[in-house]
Amino acid sequence: MTFDDAKLRDRPEVTTRDDNPLPPEDNALTRRTAMKLFSVTALMGAVAGCTRKPERYIYSVVDRPEYQRPGTPLYYHSTWTDGLYPYGITVKCVDGRPIKIEGHEEHPLNLGKACAPMQAALVSLYDPERLKSPRSGKNDVTWEQADKRIVKALQAASSTVVVTRGLLGPSEQALAAQFLKAAPGAKHFVHEPAVDRERRAAWKAIYGADGELVPEFDKADVIVSIDCDFLGTDGDVVSNTRRFAATRRPEAGTFSRLYVAEGGMTVTGSSADHRLPMRPSEASALVAALAGGTAKEGWDAKVIAAMREDLAANRGKALVVAGPHLPAAVHAAVAKLNAELQAPLLWNAAPALLPANDPQEIRAALAAGADVAIFLGVNPVYDLPGADLAKVKLSIAHGLTANETLAACDIALPSAHNLESWNDTAPLAGMTTYCQPMIAPLFGGRQEADSLLAWTKALDESATDAEDFHDYVKARSGLEAKAWQAALRKGYTGSGSFAQAPAPKSLDATAPAAGAAGTMDVVLVADPFLGDGRWAGNPWLLETPEPVTQLVWDNAAMMGPAAAKALGVAKEDWVTITLGDATLDLPVLVKTGFQKDTILVHLGWGRTAGAGVGDRVGINAYPLSAAGHLLVGAKVKSAGKQKYHLVRTQRAHDQMDREIARSATAKEFAAHSDFAKHRRHHPPLDQIDQEVDYTKGHKWVLGIDLNQCTGCNACMVACQSENNIPTVGKDEVSLGRDMSWIRIDRYEKGDPENPEISQMPMLCQHCDNAPCETVCPVNATVHSPEGLNDQIYNRCVGTRYCANNCPYKVRRFNFFNYTKQAIDTPVEELAQNPHVTVRMRGVMEKCTFCVQRINAAKFERSNKGEKVEDGDVVTACQQACPADAIVFGDENIEGSKIAAARKADLAYHVLEELNVRPNVTYQARVRNLHPSLDDYTPGAAKKGGH
Amino acid sequence: MSDATATLPEDPPLVQGDITLQKLDDDISAPYEAFPTKRWWIAFLLVQPLAIAFLVCFVYTIGAGIGTWGNNAPVGWGWAITNFVFWIGIGHAGTLISAILYLLRQKWRTGIARFAEAMTIFAVICALQFPLIHTGRPWLAAYWLLPLPNSNNIWVNFRSPLLWDVFAVSTYGLVSFLFWYTGLLPDLAIARDRAKHKVRKLVYGIMSLGWKGSNRAWSHYEKAYLLFAGLSTPLVLSVHSVVSFDFAVSVVPGWHTTIFPPYFVAGAIFSGFAMVATLIIIMRKYFKLQHVITNDHLDVMNRIVIATSLMVGYAYIIEIFIAWYGGVTFERYAFINRALGPYAWAYWLMVTCNVILPQLLWFKKIRSTVKYLYPIVILVNLGMWLERFVIIITSLTRDYLPSSWDDFAPSWVDIGLLVGSFGLFLTLLLLFCRFLPTVAMAETKAVLPGSQPSGGHHD
Repeated sequence: MTFDDAKLRDRPEVTTRDDNPLPPEDNALTRRTAMKLFSVTALMGAVAGCTRKPERYIYSVVDRPEYQRPGTPLYYHSTWTDGLYPYGITVKCVDGRPIKIEGHEEHPLNLGKACAPMQAALVSLYDPERLKSPRSGKNDVTWEQADKRIVKALQAASSTVVVTRGLLGPSEQALAAQFLKAAPGAKHFVHEPAVDRERRAAWKAIYGADGELVPEFDKADVIVSIDCDFLGTDGDVVSNTRRFAATRRPEAGTFSRLYVAEGGMTVTGSSADHRLPMRPSEASALVAALAGGTAKEGWDAKVIAAMREDLAANRGKALVVAGPHLPAAVHAAVAKLNAELQAPLLWNAAPALLPANDPQEIRAALAAGADVAIFLGVNPVYDLPGADLAKVKLSIAHGLTANETLAACDIALPSAHNLESWNDTAPLAGMTTYCQPMIAPLFGGRQEADSLLAWTKALDESATDAEDFHDYVKARSGLEAKAWQAALRKGYTGSGSFAQAPAPKSLDATAPAAGAAGTMDVVLVADPFLGDGRWAGNPWLLETPEPVTQLVWDNAAMMGPAAAKALGVAKEDWVTITLGDATLDLPVLVKTGFQKDTILVHLGWGRTAGAGVGDRVGINAYPLSAAGHLLVGAKVKSAGKQKYHLVRTQRAHDQMDREIARSATAKEFAAHSDFAKHRRHHPPLDQIDQEVDYTKGHKWVLGIDLNQCTGCNACMVACQSENNIPTVGKDEVSLGRDMSWIRIDRYEKGDPENPEISQMPMLCQHCDNAPCETVCPVNATVHSPEGLNDQIYNRCVGTRYCANNCPYKVRRFNFFNYTKQAIDTPVEELAQNPHVTVRMRGVMEKCTFCVQRINAAKFERSNKGEKVEDGDVVTACQQACPADAIVFGDENIEGSKIAAARKADLAYHVLEELNVRPNVTYQARVRNLHPSLDDYTPGAAKKGGH
Repeated sequence: MSDATATLPEDPPLVQGDITLQKLDDDISAPYEAFPTKRWWIAFLLVQPLAIAFLVCFVYTIGAGIGTWGNNAPVGWGWAITNFVFWIGIGHAGTLISAILYLLRQKWRTGIARFAEAMTIFAVICALQFPLIHTGRPWLAAYWLLPLPNSNNIWVNFRSPLLWDVFAVSTYGLVSFLFWYTGLLPDLAIARDRAKHKVRKLVYGIMSLGWKGSNRAWSHYEKAYLLFAGLSTPLVLSVHSVVSFDFAVSVVPGWHTTIFPPYFVAGAIFSGFAMVATLIIIMRKYFKLQHVITNDHLDVMNRIVIATSLMVGYAYIIEIFIAWYGGVTFERYAFINRALGPYAWAYWLMVTCNVILPQLLWFKKIRSTVKYLYPIVILVNLGMWLERFVIIITSLTRDYLPSSWDDFAPSWVDIGLLVGSFGLFLTLLLLFCRFLPTVAMAETKAVLPGSQPSGGHHD
């Protein structure tokens, strides 16, 4: 029977699928038809025997909660407390299980934007490696038993050491204070092994108070970054990216100029207009040069002069930032420079991230032989070299998985996940964010604060009336029932604001000597995805390529070709890095853009316990970290070991004048704002097939602005989470079988130490003349009337012809049953998005423009009898993108953002000469070169211009 | 033999030695009538490990997935399609010999026609294994690629060259089989009539479909044979043209070339004849049929080999020329990459085997002496496999966006399937030699001296 949904739409009472009229019953079952049915059933049975349909049990709800409708998602606001900055999150839950973490659109801190680890936190919720029960020694015990033993020890203890992470909310801090009061001789240490402890200390010395500088990149016309990867790994990356990207709109006339002087090659360096390769230990000399001193030999004097000129000319709109690993003298000099420039800087007097203690203090406290040591969510056995628990009488560790510290402690306690916990945080003055659970703790875990609360109450009954930490947080908030509900619904209270940066008070610090010739500067940086190692068990993050090197499932000694040559090593050889007593062997990754005396190493790898798939992946670089994060004068030599195998997702980086990722200098852009449209000339493109009219109804189109994109890879994780994309592991990626539907392509050109970088997100272009569609023998990929290139998984037989014929190579094939584990492990299965098919092996898949979101928006509007409006459909990648580089929408809606993006001067299509008519429009990147360094001359544009 | 143009210029006898009709039957029937010789058993047992390897790899691929191969994201098609095109190419000589040469009245074909036709069918059987298992879900691909009516009203995509392949290859396989079987009928009847054992008599009796050798039967037979020859002739040209469309119709630089259909057909005939020569030289020695399949046959076959070698060489040159002349950057790069890229060794080995070495066949001595020509035809087989490898791998590994480029390396399953497909092929061929007459007895009798009216020159 036909189904007239237009008619149905007009019936206001019809809102659910349950109401669909059923076909009339057909009772005409004759002997003949019965025989037919039997034979068909037998045949189907035989055929079905060959297919793989997972066996399922379906539970139905007897008493349905009134707000819950099966299959209909519920959204909760909460706070991500697992990282360094308490970003607001919106968690999508279906049938009681969280399936996606997104940024909270109104949250003042991140404005709905996301970073990769925040989104990937979902996987750690469903991690089968999670500790299932409290453990005392080697035995599983109950919580009561564990608590009893702990309290007894605490009561008897004369010295207790509590080590926590840096991100503690006000309630947690208050509770910790109560605990310290109740437990005799207790001391609290904050342990953050990979975060900018040194710079925070330097700022404290300079500005005379604890706090954090917040650079207002959005108000800067000129930004000079001194080995500061503010778009990649340093600080509040999500806000930094948003603020920076806001200044990169050449067509709108807001266009900043970014100078980056750096040793390694970073995400920030890749976005730079001018890049100056600089040895990190020479940063002092660079600041001196900016302040009027002479440029060091080997530096491009023209770039230094341009920086100086730009800084001077943009007083009030110029900003200098310095990397967290640099010595105090650099921060002092930068503070002086910024003060002179009246740089747009804000000040967060009480950042949510507490200043970390010197690792030496923690080491000493443990070595002194505390009676009780409590580790809450930290892993010092892994990341604090020299941490010795031998003298501690009773060691207690709280964690999600049985990591190195839990394994070494007397008592190991399972934590509750961020999404299973109550909490509050205060990211900036005047604002409190709340964290609420979406799901009951899956494996009987208990959040660390609840443990602390239980122990505090056992030690001192008068400490608090709160039954649990929820009550504690609620009581502290001072909010009554309704206001509390409203606060939870909103996710935060107050709007918060930063103060103006104070004037620097103390600027005297002597710069340490730069590294000597023949030695190397080794920079230790928290991995952009694994952080300090806390997310090392997360398969999504392990398989997200490192943005610059595109390395997956490993870390390495990353260096430039010149350094490798000087050391006499080639890629994948091993080197030994020695500094003082510390020594470490690492495989070599050779990458263009690295200064010749600099090696970059990511921390957070080489976990040995509790990381599941991340155990024994990569090398633990913490043994080098005793001397801080910038190791000056490290001796590096070839280790002479057998080659290692490093896997990178992109092999060729030369775009060979194919003009794929197009760019021009500001001068060229000023002369020809539509330069991108004329980069490749081709004969007129004739349409052989009948023209399809896409001007009626919807026409879904995506736009990507290459000026905005920093290549941070947050979109990759968003897509993976939304679309149930499996991770495949190092070996499969090595064979070229990574499954990501969106990837960031990176092209390099010119000087190997300072190449020109182009980056572009590449995804299915949903071509209106799609080459993949014509070649599929079974019509498994077809074009929708709305311009989508649809992939029909259950029709696909996997000839892979479509993938061969895709000029963009964005189609991904399930070479094995990659999703088997996710389906077969009951807990991992819960992370799958029920609105997206989980693909079996042998099936082709690719970006769908989040068709499930398009349909959800259409249904929602149509149920209300309304038309879809611009902004109704937000794709997962677009939602996450901290730079707002991605626009999606219906081109046919007049005045829509995407319609404007399609018509922009900078708009172009990749490989347009193939006449495939992509529905993804790129906007070419403009490099805002300093006029003295812009050698573009009108009329001499390559490829002939007009 | 009145028609001078129909035979070789020197008019050597097509069957050598003093041979009678009876002796011919005896010689040709010996292998399938006698109990298998030790040599047959040795040969059969030698190829069995290969055939088993094929079975193992086949089952493993279906059980575990295409991931067991070397294929990856840019290289959707790897060795499986290389092998498919290779085997389809091999399958060209048989029908060409039986159909086109028959229509051209090339009487020398009689000695090798049966064997070449059988080889065609077995090659097509080998070829067909690959498109099936190369799909991700072969249990569905096995019938979803056929335009079967179904309740969902989902039709196959008639725009897809893969669908054209399904029709072209299945038609070719079917017609080749019918043609071969029709030709077999008189010989099966001879086998029946010679059979002494009851079971043999029954089986050959059923297979010969009641052939009586009457004038009526011969008359129908000749007409049917002619019709099949007529039907097969365009198929010889069409099947590889259609196979080439898989590549030519795509947008992949290095594939998107209009020269592909004739180039592929020439290449197929080239490889087919090389394979016939490779096998028949062994076969005639094993079964002592050197007097029926003579060195003159090899000579003529090698003339076709050199002619098609020149065509293939021409195609190689014109491809490069057009890539330059067309001015498309991607196309230019594809051919520069072929000649100088990571698979340049395969390209130059291919050129050597397919174009340079066959030039030696200009010398009559070389093309009619087994010890000289044998290495050449073996290397032509290698070269033609490499040609498909070069076309598929070099084009897919380096296409439009350099960001997606990746190399290809075969897995042990890839190797197992290639080597194993020879096992399957040789098994079928050995069984054929064991159970069926390898030379068309009835047809060969017609070219014996004195068997044809000789236009007034009565002896």
